Amino acid sequence: MVPKDLHLSMHHIPEGELVRSADGELSPQRAREVGSHLEACWDCRARMEEIHSTITGFVRAHHAEFDPQLPPVAGPRALLRARLTELDSELRTHWWKGVFQFGFPLPRVAIVCLVAMAIGSLGLGYYSRRNLRFTSGLLDSQAAPNRSLTPGATRPVTVTEICSVPHEEVVEDVSVPMRQMVLREYGISNARPEDYEIDYLIAPHLGGTEDIRNLWPEPYRTRVWNAHVKDALEERLHQMVCSGKLDLLTAQHDIATDWIAAYKKYFHTNKPLPRSS
Amino acid sequence: MPPSSLDDASFAVHSTESSSAQASRIQVEVMELFDEFRDRLLRYSLSLGLSIQDAEEVIQEVFLALFRHLHLGRSRKNLRGWLFRVTHNLALKQRLANQTFVQRTAGDARVAEEHADPAPGPEEQMSAAQRHDHLQAVVRALPENDQHCLRLRAEGLRYREIATALGMSLGAVSISLTRSLARLARADGR
Repeated sequence: MVPKDLHLSMHHIPEGELVRSADGELSPQRAREVGSHLEACWDCRARMEEIHSTITGFVRAHHAEFDPQLPPVAGPRALLRARLTELDSELRTHWWKGVFQFGFPLPRVAIVCLVAMAIGSLGLGYYSRRNLRFTSGLLDSQAAPNRSLTPGATRPVTVTEICSVPHEEVVEDVSVPMRQMVLREYGISNARPEDYEIDYLIAPHLGGTEDIRNLWPEPYRTRVWNAHVKDALEERLHQMVCSGKLDLLTAQHDIATDWIAAYKKYFHTNKPLPRSS
Repeated sequence: MPPSSLDDASFAVHSTESSSAQASRIQVEVMELFDEFRDRLLRYSLSLGLSIQDAEEVIQEVFLALFRHLHLGRSRKNLRGWLFRVTHNLALKQRLANQTFVQRTAGDARVAEEHADPAPGPEEQMSAAQRHDHLQAVVRALPENDQHCLRLRAEGLRYREIATALGMSLGAVSISLTRSLARLARADGR
């Protein structure tokens, strides 16, 4: 039993200080004082144990509530790695653009002159080959739409409606006037028809609509992420929505935000699968 | 986590390395932090009312932002707090966009009311699962900021990191946690 005089001299530790002590948030000096007090005071020790017990109960409840929902890390990890690689590449591209936009020490006129001289000296044959590579690179860069021009647009539709009609019957060719509008919007009015498919960003069988905000010129010749790959994603999302594995809004959101990332996410791969698969 | 992975010194930028080597190094750092914090950040995002799909997307955005942050040579101090702060902000933004939170909290409040101040007898009979359900309901009935403090503390953040993540003072974090634990203890029949 605590002697009377000592008991009277002891002030019980305030609740907040006990909590901070349990969390290791007291100063070293105060932590020592609280420790000494707890050794002597059963009341405060009992209160401290209650705090620990409450924390334990909460942490277990917190994990019990959310842990069962956590998917395996492998897919998101692979997706992040691919996105980081893309982002790194983008940042490098922007750096080169910055050379021209933000005042590289060499005057811009001088840069233009040097480039013109270099092209002239290399001859037409080389230029043609270079131009071919440049075009190919341009096509690659258009694998994803310009989001400010093509954010995606949907029509009011239910899952039952989109799943009651086979995918092939929903897809319609974009009208010629609309096709020309889209090409003009993207500044490639003279593009050859065989180079681009005017594609729906959100496919009609996912509720997408023929609206200029939902259409963009998707290159066929892109080496990796081309129109055929996107078609496979659309089919996959349609199947998932109709089988109840994915809600329609998420499918629309994911394909409109970044269809390449959506492909990686839903096919669990970093590169397009062979078309037969 | 190896403590050094969040240590300023371990992130010291090597000015002599090439930009590609630096980018590769940052990618490795980001992936290491992803491995360590993904589950905690995901749990926290879920606790803010996001669907698992939205929460996963938020976490992806957080680590892409971290890559940009490090790539630009910005502060490496308290990256753990930085990760939770950005997750918190992006998750709330996403939640606002979804506009689902009102329904969720309304439902939770009803559940919490049913569980408030329970009689001690039946409480003693509760199984672990029932106790979890009960505590979860009580937590959801707490003021939102108190819930955030509690969840962040459960994910291992120190008071200072919670204060940074939520834009609160250190004292406010301490008071919030004390208040929440007292309320949980009362609801738990202690």
